[in-house]
Amino acid sequence: MIVTRRNPVTRLVHALRWAAFIVIAFILNLPILATIMTSFKTTGDINTSPPVWIFTPTLSNYEEVLFAGNTNLPEYIFNSIAIAGGGTILAMLLTFPAAYAMVRYDIGKSWLLPLVTNVRALPLIIYAIPIYLMFQMVGLLDTRTGMALIACVINIPVALVLFVGFLQEIPEEMDAAAKIDGAGKWGILWHIILPLSRPILFAVLVLSFVYSWNEFLFGLILTTKNAVPVTVGATFFVTSYGVKWGATAAAMTLGIVPPMILGLFAYPYIGKSMLAGALKG
Amino acid sequence: MARSKAGVHETERANARTFLIGLCIFLALMLGFPTVANLWYSFSNVSIYDLTGTAFVGLANYAEAVTNPNLWDALGFSLKFAVICTVLEVALGLAMVFILHPILTKRPWLTGLLMLPMMVSPALMGVMYRLILNEFTGVVPAYLYMMGLPINLLGRNWIYETVIAIEVLQWTPFAFLIMLTARQSMAGELEEAAAVDGATGAKFGRLIVMPVIMPSIIIVSFIRFIDSFRVFDHIFVLTGGGPGNETTSISIYIYKLFFTHSKIGEAVAVSVMLLIASMALLYSALRLAVRRAPT
Repeated sequence: MIVTRRNPVTRLVHALRWAAFIVIAFILNLPILATIMTSFKTTGDINTSPPVWIFTPTLSNYEEVLFAGNTNLPEYIFNSIAIAGGGTILAMLLTFPAAYAMVRYDIGKSWLLPLVTNVRALPLIIYAIPIYLMFQMVGLLDTRTGMALIACVINIPVALVLFVGFLQEIPEEMDAAAKIDGAGKWGILWHIILPLSRPILFAVLVLSFVYSWNEFLFGLILTTKNAVPVTVGATFFVTSYGVKWGATAAAMTLGIVPPMILGLFAYPYIGKSMLAGALKG
Repeated sequence: MARSKAGVHETERANARTFLIGLCIFLALMLGFPTVANLWYSFSNVSIYDLTGTAFVGLANYAEAVTNPNLWDALGFSLKFAVICTVLEVALGLAMVFILHPILTKRPWLTGLLMLPMMVSPALMGVMYRLILNEFTGVVPAYLYMMGLPINLLGRNWIYETVIAIEVLQWTPFAFLIMLTARQSMAGELEEAAAVDGATGAKFGRLIVMPVIMPSIIIVSFIRFIDSFRVFDHIFVLTGGGPGNETTSISIYIYKLFFTHSKIGEAVAVSVMLLIASMALLYSALRLAVRRAPT
């Protein structure tokens, strides 16, 4: 496009675009911004009306939720890390070889891939009841293991679609050369394909972690005490800490900041991963 | 499809099945078994004390499910919610593409700033809105009050609009991101050629840009529709489905049937019907997509 900056109309339009960007970014991020600010405010500053935007930050809210010992927040955060981490690793272990078989050997691409991507589109509540009853029978209710299995189910469609998409781009000659050198199937996968796939492995690792961290429905249904993730645990603060908005905001901030930071690293892949289910791979 | 087949021996393909075994076993356990259990329970007199569900009751659970008027209210809520949210998200996202595209192309990190809400758990997003919309300490009511609008957005009169607004504000960035990617894929030469032919401004947008973005609009609408239809998290933490059943989506409805009212059979019957309806919708959408783009 030929941009003529000298034209005053063009410059005005350009300035308006920037103004629009600032307003939109502010509105979209307002709850995040306000919560993070509240988490650094004293109770006095929180109750000031009109709201203050410039204040002396305090860490007392974080001290209260993390170190005072009268909340379970550290436990919730640990649970979330264990559940999201476990579910992510398991999903990657299951889907990476499967994606390889689909791309190279054309197995399951016609039925398993669409089946898995459809899972992404189903209302998950459908499976809540049988999984609850099943977990009750085998003693997985309220365990981190059980929750990691759920996280894995949620991650599988995204991981599989991203892996299949990426592996299709690796030339087949790579495998052929290794095969001549006498490498077995798993050897090729481990020594040739895996190192080549580092960028997508990183993206899947980050995105799966973020999605499992943000899961709420199954956390609510399947945990009560020992395996409560932070998304569920942080909501307890609203009822039990009714008036302690500072502590609630600190808990909320700790629940949203890890996925936000991780998500920014993998953001070029976000769009692609969320399309999983509508694309055929 | 036939590209790589010739080079691959049949025995090799058979051996390669080992790559799929892990995934297949896992899916059979975590999704296959629950699906069968759902079907089984939906035809039996199941209770929390007798999970074998051996007493066959035929279609009694289904009859109970469809005669409960709350089911149709919840379905109606979910459908209306999904349609309104999808339309608003696509419209706002599209407007953002036209307004912001020129300043974002050279500065991709600015796009990242708009993506932040998508990274937040919808449940925690709900709680955060509870914080900023709170009548006494919230930021938004404080300014509304100063402007002479003393309204409680979490109150009965506004809660429906509020839950829609929260969904739209969180997911418009997604619609925007997908459509922006399509817009950015347009070659610069196309724009220059169009300018030479006299297509500028609104005409350029309507005749040149829209056809390029159209496939993305369809995909985004589809994804946002199914995601909004199954909404649970932020509504649950904000209202729990209330007041009354006013904000009870189909997901919250099934949750309440099971966990609040202990009507397992009825809840399972609704789940099975929802599963069948979803599969039918997905299947027809896929058929439509294949017919549109024969590859």
